[in-house]
Amino acid sequence: MDELKNKQAEPEVVDTEVPLDKNVRLMSPTRMVVRRFFRSKLSILGLVMVISLFLFSFVGPLFFADTTADYSDDTKWGEIELDESGKTEYAISETTYTVGGAEYTVRQTTEKYLKDNFLATASSEHIMGTDNEGYDIFVRLMYGGRISLTVSFIAVFLITILGVILGGIAGFFGGWIDNLIMRICDVLMCLPGVPILLIISTILDASDIDAKYRIYLLMIYLTFISWTGTARLVRGQILSLREQEYMVAAEAMGYSTSRKIFKHLIPNVMPQLIVQMSLSLGSMILYEATLSYLNLGVKAPYAAWGSMINIISTNQDILQNHLNVWVPAGVCIVIAVLGFNFVGDGLRDALDPKARR
Amino acid sequence: MFKYIAKRIAYSILILLGVSMIIYFLIRLMPVDFIQSKINAINQGGATVSEETVTAMYEMYGLGDDSLKGILKGYFTWLAALARFDLGTSFVYGIPVAQVIVEHMGISFAIALIATIFEFMIAIPLGITAATHQYSFRDYVVTVLVMIGISLPSFFFGQMLKSIFSLKLGWFPVSGLVDATASYTGISLLIDYARHCFIPILTIVILSIGARMRMTRANMLEVLNSDYIRTARAKGLKEKVVINKHAFRNTLIPLVTSLAGLLPSLFSGAIITEQVFDLPGIGNIALDAMNRGDIPFIMGYNMFLAMLSVLGVLLADLMYGVVDPRVKLE
Repeated sequence: MDELKNKQAEPEVVDTEVPLDKNVRLMSPTRMVVRRFFRSKLSILGLVMVISLFLFSFVGPLFFADTTADYSDDTKWGEIELDESGKTEYAISETTYTVGGAEYTVRQTTEKYLKDNFLATASSEHIMGTDNEGYDIFVRLMYGGRISLTVSFIAVFLITILGVILGGIAGFFGGWIDNLIMRICDVLMCLPGVPILLIISTILDASDIDAKYRIYLLMIYLTFISWTGTARLVRGQILSLREQEYMVAAEAMGYSTSRKIFKHLIPNVMPQLIVQMSLSLGSMILYEATLSYLNLGVKAPYAAWGSMINIISTNQDILQNHLNVWVPAGVCIVIAVLGFNFVGDGLRDALDPKARR
Repeated sequence: MFKYIAKRIAYSILILLGVSMIIYFLIRLMPVDFIQSKINAINQGGATVSEETVTAMYEMYGLGDDSLKGILKGYFTWLAALARFDLGTSFVYGIPVAQVIVEHMGISFAIALIATIFEFMIAIPLGITAATHQYSFRDYVVTVLVMIGISLPSFFFGQMLKSIFSLKLGWFPVSGLVDATASYTGISLLIDYARHCFIPILTIVILSIGARMRMTRANMLEVLNSDYIRTARAKGLKEKVVINKHAFRNTLIPLVTSLAGLLPSLFSGAIITEQVFDLPGIGNIALDAMNRGDIPFIMGYNMFLAMLSVLGVLLADLMYGVVDPRVKLE
């Protein structure tokens, strides 16, 4: 495969004055891939989207959020710091009396003083206003991104490890062990995703688990049922690679099994694996967001993009009149998923050895 | 052929056995006192779970006996009931789980079927134009638009459409399946259904077009690169004929196969979309039941979904042999 890629490397400028061998610049396969990747505008866009979200979530809080443990910084807001500056709510009620044929309308204004400054509009104090509890939306958006991105990365990492190990074993050894692993795959693929997670979530409810770690546990469970796609990919790839001449050569050289697997097979599965990883990052973010939206993932008071949208499923007033509460979180999810999808697509095209562009 | 089908069905049953094992042991992971507290919560919530129902459920799942023998016995008792399509009695609804599923899957199926028809009708032409104009401006626009569709979370997009079209503009009803205040009959009832289902179907279609369009595009590109297309062009056939008659027919193979695989899953219900628009489909019913800890329903619904997906794989494989004569089923 490497020779093939080198052959494709073409001289940039053909200058007849200079001897040919000085003019041909051989590019390493990696550089070729990088070049092809950056040639596509969509992959650059995707990369920009992903990187900016990462900066926003992981670097942003250092500048815009209260990072002290007890939220003692009065100029900024923390993730679970309520704005207790108070809010006065006016309720106007009208009553109409009929006295002696004439109608009188009495308008009564009740002033209610509330402790938390909730549903505040955007101001210099709260960049995007506050939500229905009185938390700062902008700050929670950043912390929510931390959770969403971290959780998805962990899940994809675990899925890949599990998939490579099991798929690798199945493909390399074949026989009954391959049969067994593939049958387990078939069974797991028939498990319904979200409903099973609903059961698992109920089990987590039964055993008291800190709201902070709940989503991590849930995603770990998720990896146990989602490694099948990666395993099938790795197995298929290894099955076809196993028959190639270079593997016969490796066999003839008397290399050890582990060397054959880790030095000769796995590196050749890497391209497809990387593409699969970046695409499944997008779907994991969607999964996490859906779980949090259903109030199964990250629970209050902690923030996640999905759980920030959760409120509109019960509160129509916010859905209609307070777009600043839920739209930003949704936009963040879309940007993240779209970014990873663009990057994944770009990588697929760039890593395809048959591609000419 | 007959032998192949019989073999596949036997294999499907084996897979379902595996699924049933996983689901059963997941339920057994729940502590019994937790189950009891959930039942109490349901009772307080208005529904009445009779003592008999609870005992019947304990009996059915063999709960309370945590020895290995007890667990195995519980599993096989449950399995035997499952084989008779007895899924137990739902706590929340007080009627057999199978009945709840049958009653509510019709509406889910209708919505999903209409959405799928629209999805195919829009996605296939888009995929073909994108493929025949590969790397053109048109290809880019279509690809980016459907990618956005794929990346939208269903709850966010559904709520957004609801906020715009139902609440702001007031063009469509906010939620539910029928107008509760009016009593329509005949054609006006149908129109009322359509008005209520328009936005949910729109949501599903926009979210699912992407995958189908990309599939069509990839297939079409592959077909367009094959030798017989070059031959057809060399013969001097019109481009229209080459695309619509020669190329498109072969693009249909994976599309028809995937449609066959999709059919059973249309009954499974779109949990999120139905929840957003508060439609009484099976997905929404299941979500509600599960949130309230209706264990017989959770078990039954999950088995139902697993059966549907096993059936889908089976149908897709069989259909593959039917539409593509080159494939021989063995």
